[in-house]
Amino acid sequence: MTASTPPVLVLNAISKQFGDIRANRDVNWTLQAGRIYALLGENGAGKSTLMSILAGRYQPDSGTLQLKGRAVRFHSPAQALALGIGMVYQRFMLVEPLTVVENILLRGGRIRPRRARETRCIRNLAEHYGLAVKPEAKVRDLSMGERQRVEILKLLHRQADILILDEPTAVLTHAEIDSLFAVLQRLKAEGKTIIFITHKLEEVLTVADDIAVMRRGRMVSQLAADRVQSRHDLARLMVGREVILNVDKPPVTIGEPVLSTDGLSGPAGTARPAFQHIRFDVRRGEIFTITGVAGNGQEDLVAALTGLAPLAGGAITFSDRTYTASQWARRPTSGMAYIPEDRDRTGAIGAFSLVENFMLTRLGTFARSFLVNRRGAEQATVDAMARFSIRGSGIQGQAGHLSGGNLQKLILARELSRRPDLLIAEQPTQGLDVQATEEVWQALLKQRETSAVLMVTGDLKEALSLSDRIAVMFRGRILDIVSAREAADIDRIKLLMAGLGEH
Amino acid sequence: MAWRIEKRPTSLAPAPVWAFPAALGFAVAVGTCIFAALGANPLAAYWVMLTGAFGSFFHFSEVIVRAIPLMLTGLAVAVAATMLLWNIGCEGQLVWGGICAAGTGLFLAPHLPPLLVIPATIAAGAAGGALWALIPGVLKAYLAVNEILSSLLLNYIAIIFMEHLYFGPWRNPEGYGFPGTAQIAEMGRIPHFFGTRIHLGLVLALVLAVVLYGALRTTRWGYRVRAIGLNRRAAHYAGFKIRRHIVGVMLLSGALAGLAGMAEVSGIHFRLQQGLAVGYGYDGIIVAWLARLNPLVVPLMALLLGALIVGGEQLQAVLHLPASISMVLEAVLLFGLLLSEALSRYRLVRRPPAANSDVTQEEEAT
Repeated sequence: MTASTPPVLVLNAISKQFGDIRANRDVNWTLQAGRIYALLGENGAGKSTLMSILAGRYQPDSGTLQLKGRAVRFHSPAQALALGIGMVYQRFMLVEPLTVVENILLRGGRIRPRRARETRCIRNLAEHYGLAVKPEAKVRDLSMGERQRVEILKLLHRQADILILDEPTAVLTHAEIDSLFAVLQRLKAEGKTIIFITHKLEEVLTVADDIAVMRRGRMVSQLAADRVQSRHDLARLMVGREVILNVDKPPVTIGEPVLSTDGLSGPAGTARPAFQHIRFDVRRGEIFTITGVAGNGQEDLVAALTGLAPLAGGAITFSDRTYTASQWARRPTSGMAYIPEDRDRTGAIGAFSLVENFMLTRLGTFARSFLVNRRGAEQATVDAMARFSIRGSGIQGQAGHLSGGNLQKLILARELSRRPDLLIAEQPTQGLDVQATEEVWQALLKQRETSAVLMVTGDLKEALSLSDRIAVMFRGRILDIVSAREAADIDRIKLLMAGLGEH
Repeated sequence: MAWRIEKRPTSLAPAPVWAFPAALGFAVAVGTCIFAALGANPLAAYWVMLTGAFGSFFHFSEVIVRAIPLMLTGLAVAVAATMLLWNIGCEGQLVWGGICAAGTGLFLAPHLPPLLVIPATIAAGAAGGALWALIPGVLKAYLAVNEILSSLLLNYIAIIFMEHLYFGPWRNPEGYGFPGTAQIAEMGRIPHFFGTRIHLGLVLALVLAVVLYGALRTTRWGYRVRAIGLNRRAAHYAGFKIRRHIVGVMLLSGALAGLAGMAEVSGIHFRLQQGLAVGYGYDGIIVAWLARLNPLVVPLMALLLGALIVGGEQLQAVLHLPASISMVLEAVLLFGLLLSEALSRYRLVRRPPAANSDVTQEEEAT
C-alpha cells in the first residue's frame, strides 16, 4: 500500500458524549482500502461507540466522516450499509427460526423474492470467500462460528466494503478462529477494509496490518503492526502508563483473614466455567483488589461470592465458618455488604425515593418486625446525605433523578451503614466525575480501618492507588497476586492483565 | 421549521392528571358515535344511562351491588400487577370461591355452630380462590410458566367444573330439573343492608382496599412486593426471596377473587347456578388499570364500571338498545387511558426539519 492511494475512510475529530461521559473525544483516523485494522483498548475506552458511529447507529456530536473522498453523515445503519459500511455486532442480529438465506435477504422487515436466484448468489459468495455455511439451514441450528459467517455474508451480499467486527473471536473455538482469519485475509485480498475490535494480543499480531489504540475516548496510538516488537509493547500501549494518584493512605495494621476462598469454580450449571481454581484471602485492614480486562471472569466471581449466583465447587471461609459451594448460596447475607457495578439497575430502584432505596438492603434494621420504621429510615437517610454530601431533591425525591455520583454515594452510605466485616465494591467509581471518585476512594480507605475490603475494578489507576494487594484475573484464573508498591510490580500487573504471566 | 413528536427524556414522571378525564371524554365521544350509528339520540341514551345508574337510591344500590365483586377482583388484579404478575385468572378463582362458599353453606353449615357458619363461608371462599391461583403461581415461580396463559386457561376449567357440579352431583333434587344447587339456608347468607341487595361484601371490599393500601406502603412485605415489581434485579441483589413472593402474592390475589365469588353466592344468588361467571374477573383487570393499581382508587373505578353495567341494562330495557354497549364503553375507557398514558411519554417540539431520510451527502465545510 503506497501513501499516494487516497484513503477509503477518514474520521475527522469525531466526538460523542452520553450524559456526563465523553465516549469519544476528537478521534482522528485514516483507513486505507485492503488493510486489516485492529482496534485495541480497555473496556470503556470508547471503541464500541466509535464503531457504532461508523456503522450509522449513533450520530457524532461533532466531527465529520469522509468516505471515498465524500463527506457523509448517516442517520441509520441502513444508510451506512447502503454506502458500504457494515458491522457484525458481538451479539448477532439474526432471526433464529429463519434460514440462512432468509436472514441474509431480510431487509426492512420483509424477505425479498426471487429466492432461487438469490440462494445461488449467496452460495457463490460463500464459496468464494470460504465462508462454509449451508444456505438452507435454520440459524437456530448453527454454531456461533457459523452464525458469524452468516453475519459476514449478510454484509457481503449487500456489497459492504468496510467490515467492522466487534470482538469476533470472543465466541469462537480455536479452529473457528483460524478459519475466520483465513476469511479476513481473503477479504483483504479483494480490497475490502476490515476493522476488528479485540482484547487478544496474539490475534492482533497474527492478522492485523495496522493497530489503533484507544484510551478514555481518545485515539492514543496508531502504528503499523510490523513495527510492534513484542506483545509486551502492545500490552503497555493498551493499558497505558498510569500514575498512582497521591491518595492519603493512613497505615492500618492488617488483621485476621475475613474471607478465604479455596479452589472456587463456577457458576454452576454451565459447561465452561467462567472462573476456576480461585484462591485468595482478604484480611481485615486491607483493600484487596481483583483486576483484569473485563470479561475474564471477575463479574461471575463476584456474583458467586455475594451469593447471587451458585458456585460449582470449592470452599469459602467467612468469619471463621467454612462453607461448601452449595452451603454458600443459602447462607444469610449478614456480615457482608456489596456495592454492585450496575448502580442504576441493581444497586438501586429508580422509581423509589431515596429513603426507600436506603432501606433496600437494610430491611433487617428498618423493618425488624412486620412494619417498616419509616421515621428511623428517614433519619438515617438524612444523616447519610449529610455525611456523604449527597445532593438531591430531598429524601423523598426519586433515586432515578440523582446523578451517578450522588447515587453511588447513597449506595455506598447504605452498604457501609450495615457495618460489614467484608465490603465488596465492584467498579466503585466507574463513570463518576473526579470529585465523586475522590469521595468514594476516601470512604473505601476509611472502611478498611474497620473491615476487610474486596474491590473489583478494571481501572488500573484505581487499583494501584487504593490497594494493598492486587490479584490479576485472566481467562477465569488468578494469574498472580502482587503487592502494588513498586514500579516493577506495576509493569508486571500490566503484563498479567494481557495474559503474559510467564515472565 | 416543522412540528416533531419526540420521546420525553424521562419516563419517571408520574402519569398526568389529564389522562383520566381525557379517557372519559374519549369514551363519551365514541359512545356518541355508536348511539348515533344505532339510530338513537345520544343525549337521550346518556340520560337513560345516567338516571338508570344514579336516578334513585334503589338504582344506585344496584350499582353498588355490581361494584362489590369488581372491587374485589380489581384489588386481586392490582396486588398481583404491583409485582408485575398478570393474574388473568380472577374469573376462575371467583368461580372456585363461589363453589367453596356454596359447598360450605349447603353441606358444612348443618354441622357447624351457627355463629361460625358465615366466617367459615368467607374463609372457604378465600381459600378456594387462593388454591386455584396457587397453580399458576407455583408454575410461574418454579418453572417460569407464563402466568397470563396458565391463569387464563384455568378459568375455563373452573367454569366447566362448576357447571358439572350444578348440572350433576350438586343439582337440587327439588329444582324441577332447573340447573342449580339448592338454596343456601338463611344462616349461611351474609347480611344485607338498607333493605337492598347491598351485602357484607361491600364492607369486606372497602376494608380490604384500605388494608391493602396500607400494607403495600407500610409493611416489610409491601416494600418487598413493590421492589420486586419495580426492579427484580435490585430485589434479588437485596436478597428478597422472589419465588416465595410470587407464590404468596398469587395466593393473596386468588383469595381476593375468591371472596368476590363467595360474596356473589352468599350475598346475591344463594346458590350455585348459571350467572356466577359473568365476567367480573375480566372486568377486574379494567378496574385495576383505571385505578392505576392503587387499592384506594379501585372501589371508585369499580363503582364507575358498575354504573356502566347498570346503565347499559337500562338502555336495553328503555330504549331496546343492546346492553353490551356498556362493554364497548368500558373497553374504550381503558383504551383511552392507556392511550393518554402512552401519549404523555411524548411531547410536541418545534424544530427545523431533520435531514431527509435519504443519505445526505454534504460538501465538506472547508
